[in-house]
Amino acid sequence: MARRGAPVDVVGVGRTFALGGGEVEALRGFDMHVPAGGFNALIGPSGCGKSTALRLVAGLDVPDEGTIDMDGASPDQMRRGRRIGVAFQDPSLLPWRTVSTNIRLALELVGRRHDTAAVSDLIELVGLQGFEKARPAQLSGGMRQRVAIARSLVTEPDLLLLDEPFGALDALTRQQLNDELQRIWTARGTTTILVTHSIPEAVYVADEVLVMSPRPGRVVAHHAIDFERPRTRELLLTDEFHAKVEAVSGSLHRSEGQVVRLEADDS
Amino acid sequence: MDRVPPRVLSAAVGLIVLALWELLARTVYAGSYRLSPPTAVVVDFFEFRDLYLRNLWHSTKTAAWGFLWGNLAAIALAGVASIIPVLRRSIGAIALTIFCLPFIAVAPILRLITGPGNGTPIALSALAVVFTTYVAALLGFDLAPGSALDVVRSYGRGRFAAFRRVRLRASVPAMIAGLQIAAPAAFLGAVVGEFTGARSGLGILTVRALGSLNTDRIWVIALLSTIVATGGYMAIGALGRYLCPWSPALDLGAVPTPRQEPGLVNRLVALLAPILVVFVFWYAFLWVFQIKPFFAKTPFDVWAELFTNADAAETRSSVFGALGTTLWTTSLGYVAGLVGAMVTAVVFILVPWLERSLMPLAVALRSIPIIVTTPVIILFVGRGLLTTTAIVAVMSFFPTLVNCYAAMRRTPEGILDVLKSYDARSVANVRNAYLPSAVPALLASARIAVPTSLLGATVAEWLATGDGIGAVMVIAFTRNDYNVLWVSVAVLTLVAVVGYWLVAAVELRALERMAPGVSR
Repeated sequence: MARRGAPVDVVGVGRTFALGGGEVEALRGFDMHVPAGGFNALIGPSGCGKSTALRLVAGLDVPDEGTIDMDGASPDQMRRGRRIGVAFQDPSLLPWRTVSTNIRLALELVGRRHDTAAVSDLIELVGLQGFEKARPAQLSGGMRQRVAIARSLVTEPDLLLLDEPFGALDALTRQQLNDELQRIWTARGTTTILVTHSIPEAVYVADEVLVMSPRPGRVVAHHAIDFERPRTRELLLTDEFHAKVEAVSGSLHRSEGQVVRLEADDS
Repeated sequence: MDRVPPRVLSAAVGLIVLALWELLARTVYAGSYRLSPPTAVVVDFFEFRDLYLRNLWHSTKTAAWGFLWGNLAAIALAGVASIIPVLRRSIGAIALTIFCLPFIAVAPILRLITGPGNGTPIALSALAVVFTTYVAALLGFDLAPGSALDVVRSYGRGRFAAFRRVRLRASVPAMIAGLQIAAPAAFLGAVVGEFTGARSGLGILTVRALGSLNTDRIWVIALLSTIVATGGYMAIGALGRYLCPWSPALDLGAVPTPRQEPGLVNRLVALLAPILVVFVFWYAFLWVFQIKPFFAKTPFDVWAELFTNADAAETRSSVFGALGTTLWTTSLGYVAGLVGAMVTAVVFILVPWLERSLMPLAVALRSIPIIVTTPVIILFVGRGLLTTTAIVAVMSFFPTLVNCYAAMRRTPEGILDVLKSYDARSVANVRNAYLPSAVPALLASARIAVPTSLLGATVAEWLATGDGIGAVMVIAFTRNDYNVLWVSVAVLTLVAVVGYWLVAAVELRALERMAPGVSR
């Protein structure tokens, strides 16, 4: 296995946004620990601050309180050290670049423009051979997402952050990409945080699933997932898998229920 | 700086500009007949208030009539093009040809028909709005939701019913956006019409003031024109927000060129049909208005004058020589305006507080027809070759700046986040995200700027510089040399149409490469 990534420690993070005239508290007391080379999935109700948490870890935003530490470095230092790879639900490819130049963009930005071998390795890894010269508009949604993942990996980051990268895809493509994501993660051993809406997806790919509360978001339940790797689609049919999905689903419902109770208390 | 409200910032910038202007006019430019201090402008306005208001009212009335007729014609044309798609290309060609006419030289020809009265300014004002409203209305008709059209069709109703019940309604937001642009354009047409002769109106007042070097008067007129044109633009914008508050403001600056049909035959038809239609219109125009042969010139007369007559060589050398001068000065200004706009847009992206203080000014200046302020630029820059270049540069600068900046701001957040996640520097952001995002808007603006630049150049030459084809036309006009006048109009229109299509071809290629799926 390749080198391990950086561990991530998030302690007591809060983040509030000014919105219109008022304020929206997205996160409060958010804690998370991902070991080096670990794979965590973050799941929670819509608008619970999952994406905000990920953006904070990526150094794209700054927390109002709390600390985020990665092997002694802050997210901003990690970002400035170009040690992070990100992929969002929107693949955010440059429409005027081809598949291979889109992937190369990341290398250009870290000053390794001539590393053509890395680009072709990644194209192979995500299964896009033969499409090197295609432009994003000529690709299917799933293929575009592969390009985005390849771009996030090409710099060999110490931390891979995925914000619902497969959210807009159909179930079949999604499962296929989950398999590939798992394979890539096994090959690379990069610390990975995946934000997702899908409980089966989280249980299928991650070492640990963190369930978040509604806004202001914090982690309310941890589920360690210790199925053997490599996990295959047969796993999806086992009772153990279903039991895990049920357990996570239970925590998620309880967490959603909390708001209702809290609001009832308020009145 | 970032915490100051935009209104306060704009007001502050406005005051600083006014103060600088006053200072410059009172010191550096004192007695130079170039720059009137704002205070003198205000004093002059109140001193001759009746004169100004009378002429302003006259020009506004003219523009209103032109606005009415031009837009009605444009919407009717767009309606026909929408209901009978076969005619679309030909009607488009007529609208574009009208847009490419050198208005200032068309005025003497129109005057043959309308007589010395107010007809010519009204007609020019109408012609000035046809193309933009046509494009806007057709875009609106095309934006009608396909599902609603299918509903009409499922009841066995035809294209006309679909047009009346769905397309006409759906087009309102685009139509309003088109009418918004048409308001200042109609004013421009009226004033340009008056430049070539009228009993009253701001245009003729300007020509007289230029003759007597009445600097204050020229500045007052330019400001009044600006206020009225901007007022029309804003009033229609407000009307649009009232009528369809659900619709975001449509930006017509970036309407892409329609895609070409593939195949050589299709392309030949696409090329030849519009030319044929324009010739048919040319003959129809001469026939309907029964213009005397001394004044009326057919396409064959123009051809003969250029290539077969005894003095053809002489005509050629005078017309094409002058055209060369015009094209040279115009393209300098054109390129300077486009490049300057792109650079400014990038600076605005990188320095947000600068954008917040200066952009409102740029938006306001985009809506005014710069041509009506040509006399001011003539005063300021002088009457040399540089005048044409300066006017063309200013004309192409503001719309391009506003369109390109808007396009840069539309760069997807996700792309910027990806760049930021690698700690990309400003230069990398500009090169990888902002500049490419603005290319479609740049090319669309560049396309529209071809005819408007040539129009601005010929107006400047006609009024002031005494160079280029504008000067050839004004001499032909004063000598009643209708041969040369028609030849010049035909050649200039052809150059503008060809220039427009050259940029459109580049635009299509770029769109296919950079933003597939954007072009229709």
